[in-house]
Amino acid sequence: MHTDPPLQSGVQRGMSGCPSRLSASTLRPALAGAVLLAAGSTSVLAYTATLTAAAPEAIYLQVGVGLFTGGNYTPIQGDGQPTGTPGNNPTVNTVSVSLTTAQVGNGTAVAMTTNSTATQSYWDGYTFCTVPAQLYIGGFYRTASGNTAAAQVTATVPAALTDPNGDTLPFSKISWTSSGNGDFGAEPFPAGTFVNGGTQTVGTMASNTWNESCWTFSYANNTTPKSGFYTGTVTYTMTTP
Amino acid sequence: MNTVRLRLAFFLSLTLTIIWASAAQAKSITIDDSASQALEPSVSMHWETAAPSRTAGGNLMVGTTTIRVRLNLTPWLRHSGRIYLALPAQPPGPIRLSWVTQGRLLPGQLQSGGRVLVYAGPITAPFMDDTLTFQFTVDGSLMRRTVPVSYHFEMDEQ
Repeated sequence: MHTDPPLQSGVQRGMSGCPSRLSASTLRPALAGAVLLAAGSTSVLAYTATLTAAAPEAIYLQVGVGLFTGGNYTPIQGDGQPTGTPGNNPTVNTVSVSLTTAQVGNGTAVAMTTNSTATQSYWDGYTFCTVPAQLYIGGFYRTASGNTAAAQVTATVPAALTDPNGDTLPFSKISWTSSGNGDFGAEPFPAGTFVNGGTQTVGTMASNTWNESCWTFSYANNTTPKSGFYTGTVTYTMTTP
Repeated sequence: MNTVRLRLAFFLSLTLTIIWASAAQAKSITIDDSASQALEPSVSMHWETAAPSRTAGGNLMVGTTTIRVRLNLTPWLRHSGRIYLALPAQPPGPIRLSWVTQGRLLPGQLQSGGRVLVYAGPITAPFMDDTLTFQFTVDGSLMRRTVPVSYHFEMDEQ
């Protein structure tokens, strides 16, 4: 009979039952063989391969301009790796609008524009957004686990925009719509309005999907604040489950 | 009357034949493959598609490993047999296994809970050797931790 080989980590053996080869009708003529087979029946083995997830997690969030080196994420190379590699772009883009004196507070919302130049999706280079009217937001997260809940993208919003004189303008005066060239169905980052201070959810990312939207911001323009240059910074954060 | 009896006898004979055929169906025996060797310590699972898609999907992970398979066929020497690779249904869920061979055994693929024929013919040597490259495919959502996957070869006795 055989001898058990040394166990290897990862791919190793486990015991499994071995049905007897002898039926009642063949028991007597095969008695000698039965003794040997009985010894073998306790050591017939099955392989156990241990599957281990390698580098199973990834996360990428882009609001405005982003960074991929070496190309877009697709097409996938022969070795199964993406063409481009996501990187970190520290640029903080702006979305702004200027109003004339006659225009201020007339109740007609005014479209805002961005200084972001991001029009193409890093997923495949598709021209998804239009600048300066739209701000790109997108990314993905992957995880190899039983927890496939969506990642949350939140905005941390100051209480108000302020000017150098300390005058304020509520952030809730700024809203956005969501779309994308050739897009259909629900947007992963839907339309919304900023809160006046606090953290609000602005979108979700299902596990292992690329999510992207183009935001078009507008200022409500339904109050008459003091003349000034009002600014505020909103910080977007993606949190994986 | 004689004619009737003959017909009845023929009917009984046919029935017995059917019962005998049923009792003689093949029985599957797990083959001793304890001399087989794995060339890699574990199976590293990577995303099947490195990039997630824009829609749901792309959730599969794949990994390959090479095994020098050595099947102990001594009990069936000088007989004919049919050898199957079996992947029992097991936690954590559905697993797909495909493999290529060096030619002694047949390549194939199967889902957990099934088995596939890898050899049919005479057993002329006590051992049958081949090198198989296995590829496992499993849903990434099931890869919460390392996943042990058991498979074995089995012989259908005639």
